[in-house]
Amino acid sequence: MTALTAASQNLSSCHLCYKLAPSEVHRCPRCGAAMHQRKTASIQRTLALLITASILYIPANILPIMITDQLGSAEPSTILGGVVLLIKLDSVPIAAIIFIASVMVPLSKFFAFYYLCWSVEKNAMTSPRQNTTVYRMAEFVGKWSMVDVFVVAILVALVNLGGLVAIKPGAAALAFACVVIITMVAAESFDPRLMWDKTDKNNE
Amino acid sequence: MKQTNNNNIIINASPFLIACPSCDLLADTSKLHHGETANCARCNQFLCRYKDDGIARALSYTLSALILFAVACSFPFLSFKAAGLESVMTLPQTAWALYSGGMPELAILVAAFIMFIPLVVLLLLLAVCIPIYRNKPNTLLTTSGRLIFILQHWAMAEVFLIGVIVSLVKIAAMATVEMGISFWAYAAFTICFTLAISNLDRVQCWSEIERLTPEAIK
Repeated sequence: MTALTAASQNLSSCHLCYKLAPSEVHRCPRCGAAMHQRKTASIQRTLALLITASILYIPANILPIMITDQLGSAEPSTILGGVVLLIKLDSVPIAAIIFIASVMVPLSKFFAFYYLCWSVEKNAMTSPRQNTTVYRMAEFVGKWSMVDVFVVAILVALVNLGGLVAIKPGAAALAFACVVIITMVAAESFDPRLMWDKTDKNNE
Repeated sequence: MKQTNNNNIIINASPFLIACPSCDLLADTSKLHHGETANCARCNQFLCRYKDDGIARALSYTLSALILFAVACSFPFLSFKAAGLESVMTLPQTAWALYSGGMPELAILVAAFIMFIPLVVLLLLLAVCIPIYRNKPNTLLTTSGRLIFILQHWAMAEVFLIGVIVSLVKIAAMATVEMGISFWAYAAFTICFTLAISNLDRVQCWSEIERLTPEAIK
């Protein structure tokens, strides 16, 4: 049996207020948001944003995320350098939080979305249920990568004892913030319903 | 609008008939009782949670969050002592220090994520919940409602809180760090903010808005 979806009934659903309207309507009659049956150019947009974020991820890791100025000597540290420092300070759980939030989460997000775009575009025989779980996880963890940027902001504001010790923000902080924002927008541009459309079509 | 399909299921204009945002399967959420949640039958996506007093709850958490936010902005957040010197940090200073540190773009982003967006979402929650609660629609109701659901993903109060804890551990070896009143106020603010957002159910909120502004629905 074919699944009873909004698209099969010639309806589109407002992404903002969930109102159902005939698919020829282009503005939600209830909330006024732009309405499409499927997000426009979803795969292209997601891929474009993913590539941008992947490129920005390089300076985010190479450039220093913060510079510690202690008694006149400046010491820059990168994201991975910070993780190593935390392990040396014996705070392994915190090192794990930073490592997961700043390295594992962005990387797994890249892989997850590249994989999802590939499976939709190439019509791969993958389970939509499984892929939806991948999508949901990748979407959920999105903003948690911002932790490292906030840590820099807090340290810069807090550690400021004139000439004795001060922390300054590094260029990588901005690059990394952009990576997080762009991947969040990429997650929003990806339309998970495309994965189900394939199975719906095969079942017809 | 009425439409029949070959399965003889009538699609009417009920605001409780929705399509799963993640797999497009239609779901009727009109028969939920107080406290029940609906998940998609096919992909298990969370659809909505119905509470009789959802709007009232959202309103009360919003008011609490606003008061806590005012407290969080006005007192010391963290203080840092080393070698007899002390530096005190307030919440707005987290963004300000980045600005004076030569990164105005990052300062704007941080200020937006931890202060402005949560504050704007709270004010919009007031603009939506009060008219619904008092049964008096106004012209800004739909716009405010729309903005809430656009902006809510971009509020990062809870992420910032984890950031504070990480920072504490990072510099604990370097100096003595103390948490001020604002830290606790911000932690409580985060909880109230999250509860306010989660109590404003999308389906319920928009069905109430639809009920109050019937002339707007074409």
